[in-house]
Amino acid sequence: MTAAHFDELIHPSTRLAIVALLAAADWADFAFLRDRLALSDSALSKQLSTLEDAGYVRIDRPLRDHRRHVRAALTPAGRAAFQGHVAALREIVSSADPQHALA
Amino acid sequence: MERDVTPQEARAALAAVDRGRLRVIEEIDLPRWYWWGLAVGWIALGVTTDLKHPWLTAAATLVFGAVHASVAPRVANGRHRTRRLSVRAEVAGRQTAWLVIGGVATLGCLTVAGALAASADGARHPVTIASVVVAVIIVLGGPQLLAWVRRGSARTAGR
Repeated sequence: MTAAHFDELIHPSTRLAIVALLAAADWADFAFLRDRLALSDSALSKQLSTLEDAGYVRIDRPLRDHRRHVRAALTPAGRAAFQGHVAALREIVSSADPQHALA
Repeated sequence: MERDVTPQEARAALAAVDRGRLRVIEEIDLPRWYWWGLAVGWIALGVTTDLKHPWLTAAATLVFGAVHASVAPRVANGRHRTRRLSVRAEVAGRQTAWLVIGGVATLGCLTVAGALAASADGARHPVTIASVVVAVIIVLGGPQLLAWVRRGSARTAGR
């Protein structure tokens, strides 16, 4: 059972979308994230940098087909923070609707 | 800040979390080349068998098995359709590889049954005929099998 902890860094919608996608993946290519989330290169770079600075995301630059590719992956700390944040969101919802929580 | 988040906002955030997971689930699949390669290999094996040289059939079967055994572990789990994403094992489900391998074994039995039926009907190349039919099933049915896996994963994500 994950302890609920509301995470202000993850909660903004763009960052939440990035972290939610990365939570279901081992890693994702920069271009994949940009395309799926309909973000510009600069917007995605900025959000990834913020998450990387917080220790939530690891950025790798593997060489493939003679080109550097940027890959992002959640760190264990990022995964734990995401799970805690989701648990906190569920608590907020269930506290407003206890019957829904029991269902 | 938590106290400022209304239940409606929390629901919207949870919906965004579900969408993120579903975006990854959409990527659970096998590369197209796997199905086409399997189908071509299947036909080649069928044609080889109809040549009625036991040593050639045995060698072709060994090569087919070895190639499949080297490729399948990397792609049959459905987690690496593209090189842009690696789906987490618990999201893809552990059953995908077993479904693919089980499907290949079932198709092997179907090929033998089809070849026996075609032979009883007097066909000159019964194994080739059966393997072509099975190859069509592979190319058309393989992606459908993975679509079924994706629907199952999406249902699990919605719980």
